[in-house]
Amino acid sequence: MRKGVLELCILSIISEGEAYPSDIINKLKEAELIVVEGTLYPLLTRLKNANLLHYTWKESTSGPPRKYFHITEQGKEFLNGLLGTWNQLVHAVSESTKNYQQQ
Amino acid sequence: MNKVFNINLGGYPFTIDEDAYERLSNYLTTIHNHFRDSEGYEEITGDIEARMAELFQDQLNGRPIVTNKDVQNAIAIMGTPEDFGAEPINERVFEEEEKDKIRYKTGKRLFRNSEDEVVGGVCSGLSAYFGIQDPVWLRIAWIIFTISGGIGIPIYIILWIIIPKAETAGDRLSMRGETINVSNIGKIIEEEIDSFSEKMENFGNEFDFSSKKKELERLDLNLNEAVELETPLRKGFHC
Repeated sequence: MRKGVLELCILSIISEGEAYPSDIINKLKEAELIVVEGTLYPLLTRLKNANLLHYTWKESTSGPPRKYFHITEQGKEFLNGLLGTWNQLVHAVSESTKNYQQQ
Repeated sequence: MNKVFNINLGGYPFTIDEDAYERLSNYLTTIHNHFRDSEGYEEITGDIEARMAELFQDQLNGRPIVTNKDVQNAIAIMGTPEDFGAEPINERVFEEEEKDKIRYKTGKRLFRNSEDEVVGGVCSGLSAYFGIQDPVWLRIAWIIFTISGGIGIPIYIILWIIIPKAETAGDRLSMRGETINVSNIGKIIEEEIDSFSEKMENFGNEFDFSSKKKELERLDLNLNEAVELETPLRKGFHC
């Protein structure tokens, strides 16, 4: 469950424009979604292997070239699908819990 | 004062303290083991190493040497495999490791102990196998059994033939039922060196070389024959 949500967030962050892993991490940290960076790399690799992302190498001022990630057309479709499911889920959960008063 | 190493991490050169190097290298080994069976293993570990390098660069900020604290901080940011949780360790590998452990546990094998022998090392090998502290008790029992009309001598000879001699450090560890790992083997080798020098001393003290030489040659020949005899029987004797 949480895994799918992480993928949704990563894809939507990257869909805003090209992104460097540490930018993605900072945003996810702001949102308190992940605690450690190591979680991100296997996810990025998996999304890339599923053709939802691709990356380009860019020269960096200090050191070796860095990977910048972009979203693919396929990734956008997948993201839209995920968002649809997510909104359904949010709707379903808020509908079912709206009568419950938090104590 | 600390020894330093020069390393290449994700394409950046670093000078790193010895203790920091140990910690980093342990950490990266666990990362590599964790992702070994994942799709895109090289890419993931490459990315992680590159990111570690960047974290060091940020933290160093002009300082020349990576210290233990820098490594600790970087590991805290990256997280350990247990923290990732995203990619569970491949079950198949896990099962294999479990099997290995079980095999080690039941890894006690019967050997003749050539380090501590009166005749053929059968008694001291059996003592090691059954956990008897001092083989002398088994020897006494054997002698009593033989004198009281038992068939101690033929049984001894048969055991001498069928039980393999503990030849390597690994054999000696499995004889005592200890796990074979680097530190244990180190221990055994130390013991061997001690007992070898002791033997050499005794040899020098007790033997008159010229008169005993022929006898020794004959003994050597007998030993070789015994070894030839026992090899085909060794198979299938893994207790």
